[in-house]
Amino acid sequence: MTVAVAESGSPSDALVQVRDLRTRLGAKLIFDGLELAVPRGSVTAIMGPSGTGKTTLLRHLTGQLRPDAGSVRVDGEEVTTLSRRALFGLRERIGYLFQNSALLTDFSVFENVAFPLRQHARLPEELLRNIVLTKLQAVGLRGAARLMPSELSGGMARRVALARAIVFDPMLILYDEPFVGLDPIALNQVLRLIRTLNRTLGITSILVAHELAAIRQVADSVCLIANGKLVAQGAPDELVHQDSPWTRQFFGGDADGPVPFHYPAPDYATELGFAGARP
Amino acid sequence: MNANLRRNWLVQGIASVGDCGLFFVAVLGALPKSLRYWRETCRQVWFVGAMSLVIVMTCGLFVGMVMALQLYYTLSIFGGTAALGTVVALSLFRELGPVITALLVAGRAGTAVTAEIGLMRATDQLDAMGMMAVDPLAYVASPRFLAGLIAMPLLASVFNAMGIFGGHLVGVTWLGLDNGTFWGNMTSTVSLHKDILDGLYKSIVFGGVVSLIAVFQGYTAPPTSEGVAYSTTRTVVFSSIVILAFDFVMTAFMT
Ligand SMILES: Nc1ncnc2c1ncn2[C@@H]1O[C@H](COP(=O)(O)OP(=O)(O)OP(=O)(O)O)[C@@H](O)[C@H]1O
Ligand SMILES: [Mg+2]
Repeated sequence: MTVAVAESGSPSDALVQVRDLRTRLGAKLIFDGLELAVPRGSVTAIMGPSGTGKTTLLRHLTGQLRPDAGSVRVDGEEVTTLSRRALFGLRERIGYLFQNSALLTDFSVFENVAFPLRQHARLPEELLRNIVLTKLQAVGLRGAARLMPSELSGGMARRVALARAIVFDPMLILYDEPFVGLDPIALNQVLRLIRTLNRTLGITSILVAHELAAIRQVADSVCLIANGKLVAQGAPDELVHQDSPWTRQFFGGDADGPVPFHYPAPDYATELGFAGARP
Repeated sequence: MNANLRRNWLVQGIASVGDCGLFFVAVLGALPKSLRYWRETCRQVWFVGAMSLVIVMTCGLFVGMVMALQLYYTLSIFGGTAALGTVVALSLFRELGPVITALLVAGRAGTAVTAEIGLMRATDQLDAMGMMAVDPLAYVASPRFLAGLIAMPLLASVFNAMGIFGGHLVGVTWLGLDNGTFWGNMTSTVSLHKDILDGLYKSIVFGGVVSLIAVFQGYTAPPTSEGVAYSTTRTVVFSSIVILAFDFVMTAFMT
């Protein structure tokens, strides 16, 4: 089964639709009229230099942060104006993988993954245990169920967080840098997991990542964000070979180009440019 | 708000009192929802209580002993040493019990709560709860606030008991007062309504104030290790000031 690779997706078909998003954080203009559409059932990767606001974008999508202007529609609901209760209802259908895992330090690995279930579903203990162990098995950490978060390595914590994000079988999963700190085996496992979730359950995924090789394996389309705007979009292989200054700079790793990385501080910007364009 | 105005420490102080008041309202608003997490509340009562029990008991014992010594000397000037038990008990119930317990709890449990919540903020755990559709106000803030409210009067009672025990130790065992006089005078003079309940009200209010300040400081701590450290210090400083100020006001109204 293949999933349609939509270039931009017709609006009615889009699970996530961002229009004319404008955000200013502190003195910095993060988004300046960003447009984004994520088709239902697709895996969309969001790339961009460090500090362009990829995490901020995910926070807008989940209503953790309200934009200054613009519209964010997720599953037909306007996130920017939702009441707290409606927002929580929406969030129950969204899995979110935090950039730094954000496991609850009081609870064991098992209880961390079980936490959303315990809060929102009255399940018999036996069933709950089965669900949690299944998810832990999927990330290869069933054996670590009794460990505490402080006893995990960074990569293991990320996989536990991933198990927690998918425990409810959400309609949409937002991954903030899921591949950082994973060894090649775990990375392949997580890649396969993302693909399986998408292909078999039809879960839409938005993936913020820098790893081009990994993205080429899972993503249907890539959105390149820079300067607060969407500067390029397309299938990963197309985009890499596309001959626009944006993609040349980003995928080719050119220091010079249209993306002035961060604040006007030439040497530092050059350094960040290399860091953001890891192949 | 005007940036220059914001920089003025007085304005800043008033603004943060306002923030704390709004936070209080939000915590109260989350209380009904937090009843669902009553297990968490029980756990927090246990934490606050267990954390502070040893220090409260030790301090209570010593405070009682010192007071017996000092008051024995004072009373002996007037030849009234028979009233030692009464005076020790009254000072403990009406004043020292609630106030010193509150100061101790602020230093022991309050700082721990601030640091814990501050770290949860810094490591995105509060945001993660929000993303799992669990209101961190109801799950984290309210239970800890309630726990302080519940634990404080209990701890103050333990403090009072230890204090009277210490006073008895010094007055009767060491200085040789008559055991019957010590207890008899105390039980006939100390009134449940005027003295014991008044003290209890005080410690309930202090419990609320201390845990509100601790939770607020943790919740609004800047998400850095430095920020958490500062907030922890502020919990002790603000709690101490507010406890003593409230104590004066409440005493003025109660007597
Ligand atoms: N609360 C805030 N106040 C002011 N500026 C902020 C705030 N939060 C984030 N920023 C700024 O917003 C910009 C975007 O931050 P964001 O975390 O979204 O970047 P990112 O694209 O996820 O980067 P990375 O790839 O490093 O994770 C950064 O330049 C950051 O300095
Ligand atoms: Mg980020």
